[in-house]
Amino acid sequence: MTTSAQALSAADLPGLDCGICGFRRCDEFAARLATEPALIQRCIHLTDHVLPSTGSSDGLSATPHGCATCSESAATSAPFSATAALPWRDSLDREFEFYLEHFPEDPGPREIIIAHNPILCREMDIQRGDIIIGRPLGMSCGCPITHCGVVMESDQRTGVMVWCVTGPLAPREQGFKDIGYYIAEGYEGLITQTRVEPKIGMRYYFQPSMCMLQWRHSGLVNYLNRTPAGLQVRLEGLWIG
Amino acid sequence: MRCYFDNSATTPLDPRVREAMLPYLENLFGNPSSLHADGLVARRGMEEARRDVATLLGAEPDEVIFTASGTEAINLALLGVIGETKAADRHVITSAIEHPAVLMTCRAMEKRGTTVTRLPVGSDGIVEPAALATSLRPNTRLVSIMAANNVVGAIQPIEELARITRAHGALFHCDAVQAIGKIPLDMRSLPVDLLSLSAHKLYGPKGVGALYVRRGVRLAPLIHGGGQERGVRSATENVAGICGLGRAAAIARAEMADDAARLVGMRDRLLAGITEAVPGVYLFGHPYRRLPGHLCLGLAGHEGEAIRLLLLFDDAGFSLSSGSACGSSHIAEPSAVLLAMGFDPVRARGSLRITLGRFTTDAEVDRFIEIFPRIVGSLTATNLQHYQQRRQQ
Repeated sequence: MTTSAQALSAADLPGLDCGICGFRRCDEFAARLATEPALIQRCIHLTDHVLPSTGSSDGLSATPHGCATCSESAATSAPFSATAALPWRDSLDREFEFYLEHFPEDPGPREIIIAHNPILCREMDIQRGDIIIGRPLGMSCGCPITHCGVVMESDQRTGVMVWCVTGPLAPREQGFKDIGYYIAEGYEGLITQTRVEPKIGMRYYFQPSMCMLQWRHSGLVNYLNRTPAGLQVRLEGLWIG
Repeated sequence: MRCYFDNSATTPLDPRVREAMLPYLENLFGNPSSLHADGLVARRGMEEARRDVATLLGAEPDEVIFTASGTEAINLALLGVIGETKAADRHVITSAIEHPAVLMTCRAMEKRGTTVTRLPVGSDGIVEPAALATSLRPNTRLVSIMAANNVVGAIQPIEELARITRAHGALFHCDAVQAIGKIPLDMRSLPVDLLSLSAHKLYGPKGVGALYVRRGVRLAPLIHGGGQERGVRSATENVAGICGLGRAAAIARAEMADDAARLVGMRDRLLAGITEAVPGVYLFGHPYRRLPGHLCLGLAGHEGEAIRLLLLFDDAGFSLSSGSACGSSHIAEPSAVLLAMGFDPVRARGSLRITLGRFTTDAEVDRFIEIFPRIVGSLTATNLQHYQQRRQQ
């Protein structure tokens, strides 16, 4: 393999005329190499396929070190390996007590939320069936990811809404209302796998199974009901981690 | 007017392909297995398409098996080889960043007793040939590596990987669904035994794919029936779709270099333009060792807003692709690839994929460069605008 920037003629190039270097033919590329030898990096047939350790020549490429939105680089830069996904450990290798699943009849995980400006619920006339998007922020359960979902209940007097997080397809198909930032006040769902016997009034670490970061959460159990589908639970006072 | 920048998801039908398909959707409806004239004319069209696909690959026509999709071609390659293999020899090697069509088939094979090794990739998304060399076992029967990745566009060193595999005596399958017609893949010089492709990534119709099977490679069929496609894939052929694939292959062969050079120029111009306007933009994967029209980008500090960005671009008329989200039913892709490349979950889910294609114009790229900083800047302003609009109503 050749990675040097010495003068190359068309005869040194592979002659495939593949165009991947950005030139239609190898001879056109060779002509340009005479004045800009560094362009040789663009020939994938000649150059080493390994990304230079210093990053790309233009410094644009991402390197997988650290989380862009927080400083816990050592903890978050490791690849998400199969071992990190073992039961009772989250993606940051922290222990938890149970998995929280959504109700089978719901389109996604059910959350009790309130917009940071609760009057938005009335001003945007948010009603059952509306598609809304927003990002959890603040002292309760902040998360770096924008969430999308469908409203199940809305109380325009208090601003409290119950929604199911469904992912981005629904807002794409049906349009949406953007509430900006919101606070997650509570989760409702089913406990189907647990290694403790949850009790009302106790705080637990748990893993919402649809959390795309697979980070554990903690919350206080303030409602329990045994059903054929599993242990129905409401968790309030939520925190991530 | 909409700008379609998601050509890795699917491509628009080339009007010339549509033209080639129309007769077989109208008058030439015969079953290619029939002996009468109507059947013969359908068979002739289908065999011409087989020749066109074979020519694109540097293969012989009888080495091309038509299927109903790229996914089916991949399933046939993997399960077909393992079905012909003794239980003790069932070790398969693949990579951690394959398409679900490969990864989920491997998982299904694992449940039936096949041992699967998944090779890691570097932060550029490239499979290291040395890693393959050290993972081969005496009972390795099959190695399956994609030619180019669907998420970051990374082009794999297929020739090196296939040579190592052949020297070991195993078979090499290449998922070329993303790469076909974009980079040269010549079966006369590549020691590849099986290669999968799909028409709809090649400006052809959906619902048709093909598997290249090198002469001498035996496959157990997945679909049993009337013995079409040399008994490997029974079912009456999708003649119109196959003729579309044939035409798409012929066009790709003639125009590949022109398309590639043009797309690389547009891709680099787009990246330079938006990077200059928004300094936080970074690129996933290798800057050059990637598919011609392919960009996978992150936006520093806004990784969690990929969905919002996608929606804003969509409203502005641009079709892009993005990472997945909480509650989304497609949680495996594309983030699994970026996770395997070593990126943390926030970055891995926060990517924007921009894939240009044959019908992308310079004017569309200009429009995107112009609108990009405005849309990124509006991430924080949208709520206020919405609020003010409501107040005015």
